[in-house]
Amino acid sequence: MSDQTTAIQITGISKNFRGTLRGNEVRALVDVSLAVNHGEIFGLLGPNGAGKTTLVKILLGALRPSAGTATINGHDITTAAARGRVGFLPENHRFPPYQTGLQMLYCFGGMTGMSRSEIRVKADGLLELVGMSQWRGTRVKKYSKGMMQRLGLAQVMLNDPEIVFLDEPTDGVDPIGRHEIRNILLDLKKMGKTIFLNSHLLAEVESICDRVAILDRGKLIKTGPVAGLIDVRPAYRIETTGLNVETAQKIQDVYPGAIIDDNRIRVTFDDPLQVNGLTDLIRECGVSLISVTPEKISLEESFMQLIRESKQHE
Amino acid sequence: MNKFRAILYDSFLEIKSGKMLYLYGAVMLIMVLIFILVPSIKINGENLFESGILSPGMITRGMAHFFSGFWGFALFLMVFGSAWLLPAYLGKGRIELTLSKPISRMKLLSMKFATVFLVKISILALMSIIIWLAIALRLGAFSMQFFFGLFFSFLVFANIYALVFFIGVLSRSGALAVMGYFVIKFSTDLLAGRELVYGFLGDSSWKTVLDTAYQILPKIGEMDDNYISLISGDGFTNTYAIWTTLAFSAIIFLLTLLIFHRRDY
Ligand SMILES: Nc1ncnc2c1ncn2[C@@H]1O[C@H](COP(=O)(O)OP(=O)(O)O)[C@@H](O)[C@H]1O
Ligand SMILES: [Mg+2]
Repeated sequence: MSDQTTAIQITGISKNFRGTLRGNEVRALVDVSLAVNHGEIFGLLGPNGAGKTTLVKILLGALRPSAGTATINGHDITTAAARGRVGFLPENHRFPPYQTGLQMLYCFGGMTGMSRSEIRVKADGLLELVGMSQWRGTRVKKYSKGMMQRLGLAQVMLNDPEIVFLDEPTDGVDPIGRHEIRNILLDLKKMGKTIFLNSHLLAEVESICDRVAILDRGKLIKTGPVAGLIDVRPAYRIETTGLNVETAQKIQDVYPGAIIDDNRIRVTFDDPLQVNGLTDLIRECGVSLISVTPEKISLEESFMQLIRESKQHE
Repeated sequence: MNKFRAILYDSFLEIKSGKMLYLYGAVMLIMVLIFILVPSIKINGENLFESGILSPGMITRGMAHFFSGFWGFALFLMVFGSAWLLPAYLGKGRIELTLSKPISRMKLLSMKFATVFLVKISILALMSIIIWLAIALRLGAFSMQFFFGLFFSFLVFANIYALVFFIGVLSRSGALAVMGYFVIKFSTDLLAGRELVYGFLGDSSWKTVLDTAYQILPKIGEMDDNYISLISGDGFTNTYAIWTTLAFSAIIFLLTLLIFHRRDY
């Protein structure tokens, strides 16, 4: 424990995968640096293929970085000690199909150094917590995706970890399961655990994360608190009748961000008062307005916007 | 210790769930039945094993031949039974969680090897001892030298498994591991008779190539020669095959650890 406040310190991590063809290397991560504090819920957000799984797999020793270093609890990730007080729920995991839920806890719990009696004491409560008590004696191969995810979460908490890594924990889980998983994460947060959450769903991270980093095609675009990360700009939905092509073209020229579909216009402004300019323009062209409805741009859309902007900058 | 026990438990569960166990059981049952029935065979109205036609020495020798064949066959089955274990262990979605546990990769793979080895030789020992007991009780031939043979079969299995393990880590395919094993076993069995073709090879560099290949490769077929002499009480006959095979296995085991240590999963 060199640094008491930093749970995870990532310094200049890059990862290149050799492609199937010669020369077509995949740059899955490009010089990623970030720090996660103790007790923090940290969300790593990005579209599919951004490199989130790659980063977590590097931290937990499944992948070797092409460059850079990282520490967990002050231990270099190349040492087994870094994985000592850690829980991990991998993406698309397949637990050994021949094990029952309880046997799975014995096997993976034992590998963290726990004794059988320690596991026995904790397993009951955890299986109860994730709602898997009645399936404890059933083989994993008969589990649904949601059941696997619940068992996976019980496994994550088994060794009382300080830091928990979750890679798309609600993937393939039904809405009720999602809600329950979210509650479990909130419980973990109350217990003071550090959580590193990978997700491609903004809604999933915004409700529970303290801080978020956005990753796109291997690069960190932004890091910060959820609120400040994504600016919520006012948007308006305008309905007209008889919107002709020329008027639509004029609107598009003045407001390049406007989305025009038949008689409906959707546009985002930096300042809410700008909507007056647009309605004036529409009237000048002799088109009648039916309604002007203000609308809050959703976080999801701002997130997509941010990703689009980062693409344009290249 | 807890970590080793957890990995042992996992290996045990996985081997227990496989269909191979039924096959081992069936083979053992057939052998036991044969030895229960064979002594009832009558020659000229006299029971074969009570007539004194067969001396105890002959029975021991017969037993040596039997077990030599039996272990050859049982280990052949075990190649099939164990080749897919490691590729399955390293499968996508399964190995990531294992690697995230606080165990170094070298230790993890060594423990995986050791635990599969322990479970497999326990099965082998159980099958062999039950058959041995059937023979001993029915024929009255309590050959304690059988145990030398049994321990030696463990050693042979360790060598076979090191090879299958190596190809399993390298290719992540159980089928390739089985094929690789047979290709190597077959080539060394052929190479053992390389002197037969020396006459046709005028060029001496060919002899050097064949000779070197023979020296380096594991001689699993030839190791089997030792079973008969061990049970008959004559000690080892082919120690050269043993040492060179052990050296080969030790080197590929280290190589397996190194490859595993650097791999991305
Ligand atoms: N083992 C691999 N070999 C080659 N390319 C890979 C491998 N793993 C991931 N990638 C590539 O790296 C990029 C990042 O993938 P990943 O980390 O899984 O993204 P995410 O988890 O954000 O969806 C993708 O383009 C993916 O195709
Ligand atoms: Mg992913």
